[in-house]
Amino acid sequence: MVRGWRLKFIDRLTKIDRRIIYGILALVVILPLVFPTALKVKPMTPVEKLYEAVDNIPDEKALLLDCSYAPQIKAEVEPMAIAVLRHAFAKRKRVLVLALYVQMLGLAQKALTQVTGEFNSKAQTNADSIIYGRDYVFLGWTPPPLIPMLGMGESIAGVYPADYYGNQTDTLELMQQIKNYNNIGILVCLSGSAIPKSWVAYAQNRFGVAVGVGCTAVSGADFYPYYQTGQFSGLMVGMKGAAEYEELVEENLEIKEKRMASEAMLPMTYAHFVIMLFIIIGNIGYFIQRRRK
Amino acid sequence: MKKRIALVLVFVFGILGIIPFLIPHPIVQNSDEYIRNDILRILAAFALVLALGSLLKVHADKIRRKKVNWQYSWVLILAFIVSSIIGLFGGVAGTGLLPTSFGSFPFDIQTLYENIIIPLASSMFALLAFFMASASYRAFRARSSEATLLLVAAFIVMIGFLPVASSISLKLPAFAQWVLNVPNVAGQRGVLFGIALGAVATSLKIILGIERAWLGGGD
Amino acid sequence: MNLSSDPWVWIAALLSLAIFSFLYKENPFYRVAEHVFIGVANGYLVTFYWHNILVPVLFKPLFAGRLILIISFIIGTLYFTRFIPKISWLVRIPIGITIGYYTGAYIPAIIQASIIRQVQGTILTSANFAAWNAGPWGIVWSVIVFIGVLCTLSYFYFSKEHKGVLGVTSRIGIVFVMIGFGAAFGYTVMARVSLLIGRFQFLLGDWLGIIQ
Repeated sequence: MVRGWRLKFIDRLTKIDRRIIYGILALVVILPLVFPTALKVKPMTPVEKLYEAVDNIPDEKALLLDCSYAPQIKAEVEPMAIAVLRHAFAKRKRVLVLALYVQMLGLAQKALTQVTGEFNSKAQTNADSIIYGRDYVFLGWTPPPLIPMLGMGESIAGVYPADYYGNQTDTLELMQQIKNYNNIGILVCLSGSAIPKSWVAYAQNRFGVAVGVGCTAVSGADFYPYYQTGQFSGLMVGMKGAAEYEELVEENLEIKEKRMASEAMLPMTYAHFVIMLFIIIGNIGYFIQRRRK
Repeated sequence: MKKRIALVLVFVFGILGIIPFLIPHPIVQNSDEYIRNDILRILAAFALVLALGSLLKVHADKIRRKKVNWQYSWVLILAFIVSSIIGLFGGVAGTGLLPTSFGSFPFDIQTLYENIIIPLASSMFALLAFFMASASYRAFRARSSEATLLLVAAFIVMIGFLPVASSISLKLPAFAQWVLNVPNVAGQRGVLFGIALGAVATSLKIILGIERAWLGGGD
Repeated sequence: MNLSSDPWVWIAALLSLAIFSFLYKENPFYRVAEHVFIGVANGYLVTFYWHNILVPVLFKPLFAGRLILIISFIIGTLYFTRFIPKISWLVRIPIGITIGYYTGAYIPAIIQASIIRQVQGTILTSANFAAWNAGPWGIVWSVIVFIGVLCTLSYFYFSKEHKGVLGVTSRIGIVFVMIGFGAAFGYTVMARVSLLIGRFQFLLGDWLGIIQ
C-alpha cells in the first residue's frame, strides 16, 4: 500500500496542473513585491565598463542614446534608459536621443519626460535645470534604421532635419557643436534585438564610433563575443544589468530616486528558484519512471 | 520581362550598396546619401501601405463573409480609425487641429500609447513567463549528457547572476561570469561565423538573381 | 491600499488583466484586448509615418521646389499596385530597390563586424591575452576560446562524416555549443520573469497602490 502511494505520488510529480504552476509563480513574484527586502546588487565588470565609458565622455562631445526597445520588453530595458539618463544629466553630459523604430518612440519620450522631470523638480536655477535644446535633443525616428546609422557619420541634422517635436534641428543650441559621429563620445544602444550588432557593423566599422549596449537577457549570451573583442565598450544585460547600473549611479552620484530594476531583484530570486525546483521535480519524476520501465 | 526588371534593379542597387564602403570619394558618398535619404526613406514610408492594406483587407473580408469571430474585426477596424484620427489630426504632441482632451482627461496619441499599447504589449510578453515555467517543467529533461550539460550551464547562469549568489558561494558570481566570457563566447562565436557566412552567401545570391523567392509567384 | 484615481491607469490595468485572463482559457475579453492592441498600434504607426516622414521629408520639400523627389514619390506609389491584380507585378520595383540596396550594404558590413573582427578576437595574440586583464590566466582563457571556436565550427561541418579526428573535435564542439545554449536559456528565464515582474509592479504599484 505504501509502495502504491509512493507510485501515485511519483506519477503526480510529472503531472502537476499548469494552473498550479502559474499560481505558484504569480505568488512568489507578488509576495516579495508587497513585502520588499532590499538586496545589495554588486556591479559586474561589463556594466562597470559601460558606466566608465559614459562617465568619461569629454565635455565637448555628447552621448547618443538609442532607445530602441519595444513596449514588450519595457520592464527590462526602461530602467536602463532611466539610469543612463540620470547618469548623463547628473554629470552634465549633453544627450541626443533617438529611436530606430516608430513603436519605440513613445517609450523614449516617456523616459525623457520622467528623468527631466526629476531633475527640474529639484533645480534651483536655470543652470541646474535640464533644458531642451541646450542639454538634450530628442531627434525622434526616421526609417529605415540604415539611414541614421550611416547618415549620422556625415551630418546628424541632415538625417533629422526636424526633431521629434518638429523644431528645425540645426537651429537648436546643442546641435551647433554636435554635427556628426566625430562629436559623439559614445553611442549607447538599448535594444531587445540585434540592433547593437547593426550599429557595430555600419556605424562603428565606417566611422569608428564607440558603442555600448543595454539589452534584454534573451540577447545577452549572443552579445558576449562582441564584448570580448571590444566592439562593445560595455554591456548591461537584462534587469540585473539595469539594477547594477542603478547601483553605480546611486553609489557614485548619490541620486536617490526610485530604482525599478533593483526592487525586482527579490521577486526574481524567488521566481528563479521556483522554476529550477519545477525543472528538478520534473526530472526526478522522469528518471524514476524511466527506471521503472 | 516583368521579373527581369526587378532582378536588374536588385543587382544595380546591390552594387550601389556595396560601393560606398569601398570608395570614399565625395561623388560616391553624396550619391549614396541621396539614395538613402531621398529614395529609401520615402519607399520605407510607402511600404507601410502594403502592411496596412493587407491587414485591413483581411479583416474587411472577415466581416463581409461573416467568418468565425468576425465581430472582433470590427473592434480592430474601429480602434484603428479612432487612433488614426486622433494621431493625424491631433498631432504628435497633441497640438494639432483636433482637441485632444476633455477637460483634464487627455486622449492624445502619446496617452493612447502609454495606456493602451504599452500595457497590452507588456502583458502579452509577461504571459511568456508562465508558459516558460510550465514548458520547462514538462519538457526540460536531462535525457543525455549534452542535455545535462545545457541544464547545468543554465542553472549556473540563473543562480550566478542573482544578488544572493555570493551568499551561496563567494566564487559563484565570478564563475558564472567566466562561463559567459569563455565557453559561451567560444560556442556562440562558432555559431556566429556560420550564420554570418550563410547570410553573406544568401545576400550574394539575392543580388546575383540566383535567389528569387522575394519575387513572389505569378509572372 | 491606495487605488489610483486616474481613469487611464484603470483602463491600462483592466486591459492587462484581460490579457492575463488567457492563462485560464481563451475568452472574449482577451480577444477584444488583442484586437484593440493591433488597431491602436497601427493607428500609432500611421500617425508617425505621416507627421514624421511623409510631410517633412516628401511633401514639404516637393512643394518647396525639390522636384527630384517626384521620382521617389512615383516609385513609392507603385506599392499600391499590389492591390490591383492586372499590374501587381509593378510592386516588385520598389521591393527590388529596397532589397538590393540593403543586401548590398549588408555584405561588407557583416564581413567586417562578424567575421574579420571576430577572427581577430579569436586568434592567439598577446593583445588578446592581455585583454582579459587576468595575467597569465588570460593565455589559458584565450586558448580555450580558440579551441572552442574551432571545435564548434568542426561540429557544424557536415560535408564529412564525424569520425576520427573530426569526430573528437565535433564532440568537444558540442560541449561548447551546449554551454552557450544553456547560458542563453538561463538568461531567457531571467528575461521572461523580468517582464512578469514589470507588469506586477504596475498593477500592484500604479493601480492598486499596494507597493510604494
